[in-house]
Amino acid sequence: MANHLQLGFQDASSPIMEELVEFHDHALMVALAICSLVLYLLTLMLTEKLSSNTVDAQEIELIWTILPAIVLILLALPSLQILYMMDEINEPDLTLKAIGHQWYWTYEYTDFKDLTFDSYMVPSTELPLGHFRLLEVDHRVIIPMESPIRIIVTANDVLHSWAVPSLGVKTDAIPGRLNQTSILTARPGVYYGQCSEICGANHSYMPIVVESTPLPHFENWSSLLSS
Amino acid sequence: MSSALLPKPQMRRLLARRMKFHLFGAFLLSVGCAALYKFGVADPRKRAYAEFYKNYDPMKDFEAMRAAGVFESAPPK
Repeated sequence: MANHLQLGFQDASSPIMEELVEFHDHALMVALAICSLVLYLLTLMLTEKLSSNTVDAQEIELIWTILPAIVLILLALPSLQILYMMDEINEPDLTLKAIGHQWYWTYEYTDFKDLTFDSYMVPSTELPLGHFRLLEVDHRVIIPMESPIRIIVTANDVLHSWAVPSLGVKTDAIPGRLNQTSILTARPGVYYGQCSEICGANHSYMPIVVESTPLPHFENWSSLLSS
Repeated sequence: MSSALLPKPQMRRLLARRMKFHLFGAFLLSVGCAALYKFGVADPRKRAYAEFYKNYDPMKDFEAMRAAGVFESAPPK
């Protein structure tokens, strides 16, 4: 989860999120270069060290056409690379459905056992010591670590969005539509997210918690729950 | 009486000269800012991730988190 006053991304917990963090660094670097250039020129103009009193500016016109085109290509290439990387066929080991309701999530593991449960936020008044306010749920999404998982996201009533920032996932839950996303947790752990599409009064109170554990523990949990 | 003549100063294209100088400086500044970010933030972050995963033992990490009571599916032994 994010710390107080955190500005940057959470630590990446999946390979795709690592790529996204790297791309963000690259894009921010380009933005910083452009902003510093513009700020410097603006300062020069405001202190009258530079003016635009010129009638023939063919060279500079060429520069400020070609250079932005190069910058855009420098941004587009890694962006498209990551976009296609996200959609790679990866033969998931498990498929689970996440269904958004007002105001909770339902998870269905229907691959091998008929396992379905609802996931409600734990109210602050019932929160155990050391747990995170507005982020904990009564039943977490347990998945095996280091395995590709397919998640089918949909909704029952209004628009919702299933998001887990540290895994680089945000998928809209649209009634009558199935959206697919894929996750792969690089480490065991617990990853928090929140509904990311306004869905009514308790939109801020339907969090998502993904727990990534080794396969034996996942199998143990799933047999306990489905029995 | 002889008078020493000063060299004739540049009288044309003064703005163009100043613009060229400052535009060059502006590009240097922007490349410098980008390089500062790259070597100060982006590369250390990449190295930090590589270092973390170089000798990472997921099971050891899992057991430590399990002992701390983090997991719902794997309570402490």
